[in-house]
Amino acid sequence: MITLRGRTVLVVGAGGLGGPALLALASAGVGRVVLAESGAVQDSDLAGQPLFLEAELGEPRGAAAARRLAALAPGLEVEVVAAFGEETAAGLVRAADLVVDGSNHFPTMFHANDAALAAGKPLLHGGLLHFTLHLLTVLPGATGCLRCLFEGPPSPGPEPGLLGPLAGLGGALLGAEAVRLLEGRPGAYAGRLLVHEARSGRSRAVPLKPRPGCPACGPVQGARAAGAGALA
Amino acid sequence: MSDGGPEASRFARLRLVPGVGAAGLQLLRAARVHVVGAGAMGGPALLYLAQAGVGTLFVDDGEDVDAGGAGAWLYDPQQAGRPRLFAAAEVLGRASRFTRIRGYASDAAPTATLVCAQREPVARAASERARLAGLAHVVAFGDGEGGGVVTIPSGAPCIRCAVEPGARFPLRPAAAAALGTLAAVELLLVVARLLPGKGAGRRTDLLDGWPSTRPTARRPGCDCHVVY
Repeated sequence: MITLRGRTVLVVGAGGLGGPALLALASAGVGRVVLAESGAVQDSDLAGQPLFLEAELGEPRGAAAARRLAALAPGLEVEVVAAFGEETAAGLVRAADLVVDGSNHFPTMFHANDAALAAGKPLLHGGLLHFTLHLLTVLPGATGCLRCLFEGPPSPGPEPGLLGPLAGLGGALLGAEAVRLLEGRPGAYAGRLLVHEARSGRSRAVPLKPRPGCPACGPVQGARAAGAGALA
Repeated sequence: MSDGGPEASRFARLRLVPGVGAAGLQLLRAARVHVVGAGAMGGPALLYLAQAGVGTLFVDDGEDVDAGGAGAWLYDPQQAGRPRLFAAAEVLGRASRFTRIRGYASDAAPTATLVCAQREPVARAASERARLAGLAHVVAFGDGEGGGVVTIPSGAPCIRCAVEPGARFPLRPAAAAALGTLAAVELLLVVARLLPGKGAGRRTDLLDGWPSTRPTARRPGCDCHVVY
């Protein structure tokens, strides 16, 4: 049996969702994280991104996040990679036990989705718009994926508002979901999208089955019998 | 808060959240929040309240930093044995220059209370003190991999009405962080006057990663509508 200490999680983004997910993974005792992050710490990040401090304004976010994680959880091994895209995603995903997508960049979300499906690795996806939080776990061969929900990335719009602690809730729940899967337990959001609206307090589950003709899911449907999506 | 300047830049995305705007930021800026507990639930909550621009945070915690659990998102292992109050104030000051961090004292005069105490009797006593003072407050309570958050605007059903006392399982770290952040969300909604239903209380349970919210109701015979 492999313990959490022996597991590797790829986290895409160290911002509103990725930052708290990283902290939750560190708290739980996961041994290694690979952080894909290429931006710099901006002033507005300090209104709701818990890994960053005032003194780190302008620094690369990956380096700042790694330093903070090393201080809080010295037992956690952190590797930072700057590039996560169509060419690099596959290798990074293959080397991890699962993927937590905390990116707020639509093309990156779909790269993570496609690479996780191709590698047969679970993908934990989070999204946030104003008061609404979305969480979904994709198990290749067993559940629908991001492309079953949206065929492709939408057109980019203006930067939406962000309620920091709601993103923190999403990231903490993604971290808890990662721990569930790494411990061999069923995922809470596997095949059902959690939609939680914080102001009204309403939560609902949107079932998500593989969509016939999905370009990402289709090729892996046959691999289900071979155990794709399960952790070794 | 002016439309320009460092605060406008820092809180630009928070201001864009529907219903927040300049008025909501001003309410947060004017808030003085008493936070009970700076451990696994309170640490993440404090961090987010500081970063959201709450004017003053009164940290109320009599325990020392212990090692492990990624230090409740605040403390590094080298601070083990140091009073949490001092360690938390130091980190929160580095996290946001727009929030005043103070230790809680009897003359603090808070405008709202957030209760994230690990021990239930402490949480219930803090909630009762806030109720008697007529303060809106939010109480987080953990139970194994989940727990709940009770939101109690002034005059709403109290913690005794909302949560039965009872034995609970030790709280796991990821669940603690989720409850702390959820409690911070509720507190911001209360302070920025974004909670629907005028003065109504509610309880959100977090079970297996799923939040579920329902209104709270006054227990027959409870005198919690009386504020002395």
